[in-house]
Amino acid sequence: MEYLYQGLIQAFRLLFTGDPETYSAVAATVKAASFSMAASLTLGIPAGFALGHFQFPGRRQVRLVVDTCLALPTVFVGLVVYAMISRQGPMGDMGLLFSIPGIAMGQTLLALPVVTALSATAIESMDANLRVSLITLGANRRQLLLTSLWEVRHGILAAGLTAYGRVLTEVGISMMVGGNIKWHSRTITTAIALETGKGMFATGIALGLVLLLIAFSVTLPASLLRKK
Amino acid sequence: MNAYELEDIAHGYDGQTVLTIEDWTAEEGTVSGVVGPNGSGKSTLLSLLGFVTSPTQGKIRFKGRPAEPFSDIVRGKVAMLPQDAFLLKRSVYSNVAYGLKIKKQNSGIKTRVHEALDMVGLDPGTFARRPWFALSGGESRRVALAARLALQPEVLLLDEPTASVDAASAQMIKAAALHARQQWGTTLIVTSHDTEWLADISDNLLHLFRGCMLGNGRQTLIFGPWTGNGSGMLCRAFPQGQVLEASGHPPDPQNAVAAIEARQMRLYLTADEVAPYHRRLKGILLRLSYEQSTRLTSAAVLVGGMIFNVYLPEAGTDNRRFHPGTEVWVGYDPHSVAWF
Repeated sequence: MEYLYQGLIQAFRLLFTGDPETYSAVAATVKAASFSMAASLTLGIPAGFALGHFQFPGRRQVRLVVDTCLALPTVFVGLVVYAMISRQGPMGDMGLLFSIPGIAMGQTLLALPVVTALSATAIESMDANLRVSLITLGANRRQLLLTSLWEVRHGILAAGLTAYGRVLTEVGISMMVGGNIKWHSRTITTAIALETGKGMFATGIALGLVLLLIAFSVTLPASLLRKK
Repeated sequence: MNAYELEDIAHGYDGQTVLTIEDWTAEEGTVSGVVGPNGSGKSTLLSLLGFVTSPTQGKIRFKGRPAEPFSDIVRGKVAMLPQDAFLLKRSVYSNVAYGLKIKKQNSGIKTRVHEALDMVGLDPGTFARRPWFALSGGESRRVALAARLALQPEVLLLDEPTASVDAASAQMIKAAALHARQQWGTTLIVTSHDTEWLADISDNLLHLFRGCMLGNGRQTLIFGPWTGNGSGMLCRAFPQGQVLEASGHPPDPQNAVAAIEARQMRLYLTADEVAPYHRRLKGILLRLSYEQSTRLTSAAVLVGGMIFNVYLPEAGTDNRRFHPGTEVWVGYDPHSVAWF
């Protein structure tokens, strides 16, 4: 148990002494997660609304595919993205391999089904009378969409937080697509894997606690928003 | 001018037609009552008139112009209070102000919200800041109505506005709806099981049954079983040996439902008075009510466990002879029966 205690002490030391290596990993993690969450929320919420609100041919099949993608293995996503952005891949010229945007791209693929499926579920659980009420209060199509989303904001927020949790804690994509390059594409999770491999448990635990702190800094405002 | 003109309307779900209306109009500033049993198409009619959905077939004209959901000519002008009114997860004030805000009518918004709350009998000082979850069922319904009244709509559609609310809330809702008509000339279309209230306030009473219009005014529905009497008439037996005879050829005589308009029947005090062209049924006069819109007195008569709605003879006849509790005769023409 000593190393757990040491890890806690070291976590505070790394954070409060401004350890550059730790902060580099924190920056890479936050950047990749921010890009991927921005993309997955922008694409996933409207897609979830469409999937949950409209009836169209093939809707059930699309829903089945999206639900299946909830269980996407991160190494599989990493493999697919690696194949796409490596030299021989169709996006090889873009120079995304071993970069933060490359990691973000993979994480977007990971988070998109989560945001889409959970948003669709939130929209489906919406009271059918909401639509009738809004239309008869004079809402146009855009106002109907925005107000409906606001009414299910807790469900959408849960979708975002769940996706954020997956993105923040994944290792497979960051390792395969990012390459775990020090000062460049090393994220907290890949750093933990590396430190644990080296037998540096305390550093690994310290980095894990840093990851928890980042997660807390996002969920706290979300929790406050939920109260409103 | 007509607020609504409906022509050759049919609407259904999953390929099954639930409402058909050949022709119907509602004049501006009038009150139309829609009555009918559950599943008769009342709510479907209101959702079409509220432009929540488009009819499967036919056209609806609003103030002489074809209109459909989200049309500019109906948005914010036609307001509907659905049967299960939904409140946004916001304060009472925000709920009532919502329609005005999306119309960008921000000037004087506070005054209009407070006026609307006053109209439904809710004190703005007490209720405006309350969250949606801190309201009783009756208060929620009144807030939902206030949100519609704040828009000062040209048409207000009320679907069972007093269902599942206490007597005080029901009274407030009724008064507020009529106040809207009086103050802004709002056209009211109301569905309700409170036939007495509807008959009292409505300029015309529309009776729906199994998705079809039975006609205007009070109706009496007579359910089977029907049997033939060998002379081309269908008969419905009542207790104490009474039989109602009706002519016609319904497609499924065994399960057919007959409808007789109140105007087609007449009330008599003795059997000798019954007109020779009328068949008669004996019953007990349960209650009398005066309809302001038709200026007629309607009577509810209990015949073998079924209530017949009959109008008393018009002015000039001594109606004071009829008292609730007395034995009366209902006279009807067997050829004036409509079948469904």
